[in-house]
Amino acid sequence: MTNMQGRAQRPGSLTRRQAVAYAVAALTTTSLMSTTAFAQTVDLSQWSPDYVKSIAGTKQFDAAKDCGAVVPNDYAGKVSYWYTGPFEADPQIAHDQDKAFWEAFKAAYPNIQTDVQSITYNELLDKFRTALLGNAAPMVIRLQILGGVEFAAKGYLQPLAPEDVGYTAADFWPGALKSVTYEGTTYGLPTNNETMALIWNAKIFEDAGLDPENPPATWDDVVAYSKTIHDKLGIAGYGLVAKQNAGNTPFRFMPQLWAYGGGALDETSADPTYTTVEINNDGSKAALEAAYQMYVVDKSVPVSALTNTQAENQAPFIAGQLGMMIAHPAEYAKMVDLASKATGADKAVADDVVANMRYGLLPTGPDGKRAVVFGGSNIHVVKPEFVEGGQSDEQAVKALICFWNSPEWSTKLAWVGSNPGNINGFLTDAMKERLDTIKFLDVTTSMLPNGIPFPVIPEAPEIMNIIVPDMLQNALTENMTVDEATDDAATKIEAIIGGGGGL
Amino acid sequence: MSSVQKQAIFRDVPGIVPKRPNLGQKIWKSRADYLYVAPAIVAMIVVIAYPIYYTIELSFFNTPASLSLADKQFNGIDNYVTILTSPVFWKVTWQTIVWTVLSTLFAFLLGLGAALALHREFVGRALLRGLLLIPWVISAVAASYVWKWLYHSDFGAIGAALVQLGITDRPINFIDNSTSALYSLIVVNVWKEFSFAMIMLMAGLQTVPDSLLRAAQVDGANPWQRFWHVTFPHLSGVSTVTILLLVVQNFNSFIIPFIMTGGGPVGSTQIWITHIYELAFLRQRWGVGAAYAVLLFIIMMTLGYFYVRALTRGDESRAGA
Repeated sequence: MTNMQGRAQRPGSLTRRQAVAYAVAALTTTSLMSTTAFAQTVDLSQWSPDYVKSIAGTKQFDAAKDCGAVVPNDYAGKVSYWYTGPFEADPQIAHDQDKAFWEAFKAAYPNIQTDVQSITYNELLDKFRTALLGNAAPMVIRLQILGGVEFAAKGYLQPLAPEDVGYTAADFWPGALKSVTYEGTTYGLPTNNETMALIWNAKIFEDAGLDPENPPATWDDVVAYSKTIHDKLGIAGYGLVAKQNAGNTPFRFMPQLWAYGGGALDETSADPTYTTVEINNDGSKAALEAAYQMYVVDKSVPVSALTNTQAENQAPFIAGQLGMMIAHPAEYAKMVDLASKATGADKAVADDVVANMRYGLLPTGPDGKRAVVFGGSNIHVVKPEFVEGGQSDEQAVKALICFWNSPEWSTKLAWVGSNPGNINGFLTDAMKERLDTIKFLDVTTSMLPNGIPFPVIPEAPEIMNIIVPDMLQNALTENMTVDEATDDAATKIEAIIGGGGGL
Repeated sequence: MSSVQKQAIFRDVPGIVPKRPNLGQKIWKSRADYLYVAPAIVAMIVVIAYPIYYTIELSFFNTPASLSLADKQFNGIDNYVTILTSPVFWKVTWQTIVWTVLSTLFAFLLGLGAALALHREFVGRALLRGLLLIPWVISAVAASYVWKWLYHSDFGAIGAALVQLGITDRPINFIDNSTSALYSLIVVNVWKEFSFAMIMLMAGLQTVPDSLLRAAQVDGANPWQRFWHVTFPHLSGVSTVTILLLVVQNFNSFIIPFIMTGGGPVGSTQIWITHIYELAFLRQRWGVGAAYAVLLFIIMMTLGYFYVRALTRGDESRAGA
């Protein structure tokens, strides 16, 4: 072997230039690993509505400068990106923030060309699947929280850890990171996260003789409150949702199941293996028993629960015919919108409901366990062989992901219905402005530490959207007893995680 | 000398039987016709034949959620065995038959009644005909949502009306009940489809000769006898086609059950197409879903054969004459 000057070189020895290059690389790596682009200063152990308000607006970030430390700002390249951006029905601020982001990215990285497609939520997965089969996928894609696991399992995604783009695992919610971890490898970063909360009508609570300002503390209390409301006022107490083939069903039932100590698999554990079936343990049975009590015995929830999605709960709630329900942070804005469209006598009722609308934490189980489904989106990198043209620009990809996940933009891009995936976003001025302008945001954000993602396995959609609703329906229609329904669900889950499964 | 000229010469020579042109010669002779239809044939191969071939191929593979389709595993006829030995399949099959037979029967009978009523001249006939066409014209998605609210078990208009009229004490549980849900959906389907039968049969009624009806009347036939012995036989052709089209349409139904109940409660409104959709697109079981679709395809092709036969029966009899 000879070096560039043509002199003989000992095997294993380094030239001066190589030595300098390795030293610079080692220093850069050490620097990235030790400091990262953004130092995390949020104390999750103190998380509460007051704490969220107290830290908002206490720190400034400069995404262009911080990401410039990961990928130089003068880097020239190209990145293609698919995501669900704002559409016509979204509020103007969502469009404004989206536009501002692309302008800011262009200003920070003037030499990176972007090829961006905004695709509707319902079309994105199918379009991505098709593109992958034709090796025509984008370099980067943002998917709903569990959308990525299917593609990670099938080998389409590139491993992507927070450190790859200048962050650390501590910059993200542990639950959110679980949602991008498949078989021990991280395949993406959380861009935004949200959790649901309990919403109730204080006037209905008062009329039923319940404390109007305090929600039921436990799920057993929910059952009791629902019965009280129904018995005293003749209306539905709790907005149970149990439709088949509907994602709304597990999002509302799993928090109850987890709170009682149940689970589909072992998704509630700190280090889940997703091999142990828990759908028929005592906790799961207790949760299903509580739902049975409300639907069959007390009849305190809508009869239509078996065909209801959350959308069907909105009309009775705004009409003052439903006491409480589980919903997204954006539900308040929806109710305000519905009230603004009401006319005549309905208008007075709707305005009264909006004025009496309250948000609270989801109830706990008998032993104080509180849980909620982790919602949101993750950003992923596609392997070059599946990208259009067969090539991916790694540096441009990193620049985009770093910028998108920066505290500032992670917050602004989640303005309307979610929260920053990067926890440091809670320190920004943008978060303070959101807290000042979006009612109940402090309450809904305070559920985040209790967030649990659905099992991060490709079979999760079948378990959550098919098997769990089937189990509920089997019990609520008395097609099966609670024990039979949970055992039936356990058999089905065991079959599909074993690679089989009937019809 | 062209082959056509040769054939013409040989035909005139006693004892020499003209050679029949083979398939290649026939195609060559009609090459211009084939060229004209070639674009359509290519389009059909791309958008129909290839998907059918791929579906059949996929039906012999196991496609677990953790593997990409490129890595699918050949499993012979396992998918077909899984389907045909599953009690769920037979339950769904029975529901599909109930759905198809009852929907077709009542849509046809209602359509026939409406066509007969509208065949007579009366004031407002055109308006009524227009009104009766509304169910067929409006979007099935919109109709499903409207009916879902009409049936709503807590706040439905039908339930409220029955309570107001004192017929029931509380709203009837139409679609949140596994016993009544399928029949409630069939009512919606019949409402949506009967206009189609009405239009077809109204066209058929135009072909019944007035002279025959008058002759029957002169011979003392009562209205029922005139209908049964004169009108109905003339409607047999259009009735067969209408029923076959309704059967095919009902076997392929998706929107109404999927939107109104999602196949529930406890699978009581699941029919073949909704079940295939659930298996393939919601559970990612492409192989089993493909095998299921192949079974449905065979049934549809059988029905299609009878449909074409019914359509061409007149042509054959004319050709024979």
